[in-house]
Amino acid sequence: MSTADVRLVPARRLISAPVDALFALAPGDRALVAAGDSVVVGAPIAEMIRDPRLDEFDLPTDAEAPLPGSRWTGNNRRGTDGGPTGEYIFDWHGRWRVATGDITDALETPFAGIVREVRPGTGITIRAAGRGIRGIVALGGPTRGRLQLGADGELRSGGLDVGSAGTILVVGSRVDAETLTRARAMGVCGVVVAGLASKERRDFIGSEARQRAALHRLPPFAVLVLDGATRRPLAGAVRAVLAALAGFEVAIVTDPPMLVFDRPNLVIPPPPVDLVRIRAGAMSGREGQFITAIGPRRFPGGAHLEAGIVRLPDGTDAAIPLGDLERFV
Amino acid sequence: MTSEPRAFIALDTGAATVAAAMIGRVGSRWRLIGSITMPAGADVEAIIAVLGARAADADPALAVALDLRHGGAVDLPRLEVASHPPRKLAVVAASQRALEPLVATASRSGWLTAAASTDGTDPLAMSTLLLDSGVHGVLVGAGDPPAADERRALGELAALIAAAAGRRPELVVVLAGGMSDHLPAFGDVGRRPGEVVLGPSARRGIPGGPLADLLLELALPPADAHRSLGWGAMALADVLDRRVDVVEIGHDAGTRAAASPGVGGASATAELAVVPTAALAPADPDDAVVDRVGLWSTWGADRHRLRDRLRELRIAPWADATGDGATLRLAAARAALSRLAECTPDWDDRPPADLTVATGGAWAVAAAPTVALALVDVLRRPGAGQFAIDHARILAPLGSIPDADERRAMVADLVDDLLAPLGTVVTPAGMRTGRNAGSVVVHGVTGEVRLDLTPGGLALVDLPPGSSAVAEFTFRDTVKLGARGRHFAIEVTGGLGGLVVDMRDVPLRLPDRADLRGEMLESWQATLLNGRDA
Repeated sequence: MSTADVRLVPARRLISAPVDALFALAPGDRALVAAGDSVVVGAPIAEMIRDPRLDEFDLPTDAEAPLPGSRWTGNNRRGTDGGPTGEYIFDWHGRWRVATGDITDALETPFAGIVREVRPGTGITIRAAGRGIRGIVALGGPTRGRLQLGADGELRSGGLDVGSAGTILVVGSRVDAETLTRARAMGVCGVVVAGLASKERRDFIGSEARQRAALHRLPPFAVLVLDGATRRPLAGAVRAVLAALAGFEVAIVTDPPMLVFDRPNLVIPPPPVDLVRIRAGAMSGREGQFITAIGPRRFPGGAHLEAGIVRLPDGTDAAIPLGDLERFV
Repeated sequence: MTSEPRAFIALDTGAATVAAAMIGRVGSRWRLIGSITMPAGADVEAIIAVLGARAADADPALAVALDLRHGGAVDLPRLEVASHPPRKLAVVAASQRALEPLVATASRSGWLTAAASTDGTDPLAMSTLLLDSGVHGVLVGAGDPPAADERRALGELAALIAAAAGRRPELVVVLAGGMSDHLPAFGDVGRRPGEVVLGPSARRGIPGGPLADLLLELALPPADAHRSLGWGAMALADVLDRRVDVVEIGHDAGTRAAASPGVGGASATAELAVVPTAALAPADPDDAVVDRVGLWSTWGADRHRLRDRLRELRIAPWADATGDGATLRLAAARAALSRLAECTPDWDDRPPADLTVATGGAWAVAAAPTVALALVDVLRRPGAGQFAIDHARILAPLGSIPDADERRAMVADLVDDLLAPLGTVVTPAGMRTGRNAGSVVVHGVTGEVRLDLTPGGLALVDLPPGSSAVAEFTFRDTVKLGARGRHFAIEVTGGLGGLVVDMRDVPLRLPDRADLRGEMLESWQATLLNGRDA
């Protein structure tokens, strides 16, 4: 195998570091941290307003003009320690529009790190103390839990039990919306899956929106999709890292979609340089050894594509379009 | 041996594929030596090394003449362009009526758009939109002068946007039309890192024009492949002395460039539209996108499965390009092409292009005749036109040559190499269905070919690349073919698809039933691939 040949295969990063995660804020939300702060796992970093509204207020005549984005505090209410709070949005004809609300929820960081940037109304960026495995998309909110390996194939709702509460479950190739909502209801903190079909994705997003709108909310729950929308097993290299992390606390963040872990002593050997994974076609999900690039070949459908020979674990060789292959670096 | 390089690499780095072409000085002119297209994510140096090795193996004497030693291709000078993911622009106006032309203009100018108007969106939601970290610019516009329904809201709107711009100094702000009067609300704009730009108002029904040009300028970085495509199209039009339409369907956007040659000493002109919603597979395909792909698909999948496949195409656009995947890709390309055409409605009023050039990764793996069919299926205009494909994807890199004369000279040298002719398509309109429409006699070098014309189908005349002929049409009824008439004599050139007489409806009407539609699409494709008339 020529090293130059295998470099023709699209590369995908197995482990990302450093990880800068963005926690989005909306106007009215209050950041509880400042740039440069060090945060520990579970530390509250912001108060999020549930149902924000825009109120108009006159400034007292002797008050200094505030800047948009600064905090507003209203007069004390009887029986409370402080008055309502909010965020100055803009001034029009001497009256300030203030984003405010009655109920707030705490946003906790799911990993330890250092706050890099705080922008009221926009977001908080935290650099994680740790590394991450990048996914395609993460649905839900930032969460953390103990990583637990599940079945290799498809996880059904009946396969869940209450013993998985507090964990982030690795469920293999595919999962449906019913299983996800049941997992959330049973106290599972998150799910890592290779593929999530569009229909399941839409159903889960709808369910999550209804759950977020409820007065009594469940703890944050996230689904991290590592590969795409069709059924295929997790890549061997990813599975090996997840197996090494089993039993340890990990986090899922949504921007970027990533599984974050803080195990500085965990040595992750790089995958063999000639290990490739077939991500599309009839042999989707299989892995093998890249032998050589063989130039353009004609494939079904009349397409002439650059191809390579891959030796599969059973010893057979197959000519696969280079575009259908991926390697981890 | 001179220090001047005798070969260079033209590199078009797309989001889905990387196209590398080696161009060498052969005799007294530049020629295309070879090209290769590989998935994005592959190592560029390895791609160029393979290209160089293949060129040297194919013609060792030429390699010596080009000073191309083994493994030396990676050291050759490079002419490089790259596609960049489109950024998001918040488009804001004081009324829904004023918002529509702004959105139409912005969405064809290289930006993804998110729209809001004061009569449809509350100020809190609008502030949330402007403060979103994914938004990189804001276009706020009003009529010039503002209409009565806008005037009341403009002051408050300017205050809201100025407050958001103050909190996000990196945000690019474009004040269009009557909003320019509110520039003082933004304070000392010279001290902000993000520009505050004044622009003309958007025109209803004509999404192009000066505002579109301004937005394109702000959207595209200097060495962007889409921008260079416009310059390349202009040089091509000038060299060929033809009206040229270039269409590209890419991973992140569809691009259309219409170029006209210079006349009477004037320089050539080009108009460019970059439409992110005309990407091959949009990031989050809604039902409208999925249904439109389904319309062109012969695959017969339900909406959920089709959406899954489109998401996969988005995630790994280079993968699954065989079998069903190839069919899906062409259906997605046709759907994207139709979205691209919808965003440039004003171009339909112009005379049809003499030459339509397809470029971009979406066409890279399709058979040449099917590319021609996809183009004429969607970009339907009565008339006759030539079709070609920029098979090595060098038009955009050549367009990035900064000096116009040098660019033109390079395109003139390479014009025979850069275009693979797909053939000539003649599309008469206004034929009556259900009976023989007339006949065509093609007078070629090797003799005459006579064909009866049946409305509703495609007729194919084998005319190989490099050959030309005169096609003499005689219709029973008056038809529209550029002008109205019954007798036409048209000079046609050959290509990989030959001469195609397209007697289907303009615009194309497809059956509602998916199975009938699939059969019809397959029969048309078989006509071009196998040479049978449909």
